[in-house]
Amino acid sequence: MAEKFDHLEEHLEKFVENIRQLGIIVSDFQPSSQAGLNQKLNFIVSGLQDIDKCRQQLHDITVPLEVFEYIDQGRNPQLYTKECLERALAKNEQVKGKIDTMKKFKSLLIQELSKVFPEDMAKYRSIRGEDHPPA
Amino acid sequence: MENFTALFGAQADPPPPPTALSFGPGKPPPPPPPPPGGGPGTAPPPTAATNPPGGDKSAAGCGPFYLMRELPGSTELTGSTNLITHYNLEQAYNKFCGKKVKEKLSNFLPDLPGMIDLPGSHDNSSLRSLIEKPPILGGSFNPITGTMLAGFRLHTGPLPEQCRLMHIQPPKKKNKQKYKQSRTQDPVPPETPSDSDHKKKKKKKEEDPERKRKKKEKKKKKNRHSPDHPGMGSSQASSSSSLR
Repeated sequence: MAEKFDHLEEHLEKFVENIRQLGIIVSDFQPSSQAGLNQKLNFIVSGLQDIDKCRQQLHDITVPLEVFEYIDQGRNPQLYTKECLERALAKNEQVKGKIDTMKKFKSLLIQELSKVFPEDMAKYRSIRGEDHPPA
Repeated sequence: MENFTALFGAQADPPPPPTALSFGPGKPPPPPPPPPGGGPGTAPPPTAATNPPGGDKSAAGCGPFYLMRELPGSTELTGSTNLITHYNLEQAYNKFCGKKVKEKLSNFLPDLPGMIDLPGSHDNSSLRSLIEKPPILGGSFNPITGTMLAGFRLHTGPLPEQCRLMHIQPPKKKNKQKYKQSRTQDPVPPETPSDSDHKKKKKKKEEDPERKRKKKEKKKKKNRHSPDHPGMGSSQASSSSSLR
């Protein structure tokens, strides 16, 4: 799994470096650097070919669109991961609180119902497989 | 009256009077009539006939609990368990939430040339636009041949300054600057506070030996006026001369 990403990362880094070097050649062009320019142009084409090949290996990878928004705004995409984890934990705690409250409510309700309808509740407990009222 | 008893004589015991909250053994109320059209959210109430397999025994064995359903299995994954630990994401959580993640994109991709911290909408380089308006992908990438390369003959000489985007890098903040910014919140141009601070420091450094001298002199004066002091010794004379 990680190898696929490593390959892509490697190709992208190489591509970016070629673009950077091309930029340097172009920014102060000399007639003697024409050969280098031609070479760099073809490196870019081969780099694009390599990146395109990586596409086949990564077709099953999905990226949340929100990540692109972070990148477009010039923000660190790791912040998205951070916020996702924080949100997940907060929601997890919230749901746990609800479940715990409902459990408490259930035990209290059974306790009180057992006082008023002892026979029916005994029957209920026998059906549920609970011999003793939950504490 | 006789007819009445004859009619109801078959019943062994009269049914107990219904109470408000009782699970009385009376027959379950008839299900509400189905709404016209029967929308998707109108599931029939769980009666004895529609109970799940586990609920059958409760419904069949114990008439009063006709609304009882089977409890969800305890093995089911719910929010009561810590899902971060369940999915082995503790390491990721500690990594991203334990320490402060730097805000800028250039902190994530430090080796990428250009001003990447600017919004993509500025120079129309956003990834969103790439999705909304995907480029035309005709076929494969072919190498540029000799005749095609002739189109890439450029003029000699440097590019104008405004076109040199590749050399522009986001300014890297130093710790000192951060400290100064947090200390002085006034929007002063960046050069002036650093200069003035430097001068102040220098002044402080220059003032320090002077202060020391003054303190020494004061001490000496005190010693001279003190009754314990025997008088001006040779050592003091030398020190005072050295001060001058």
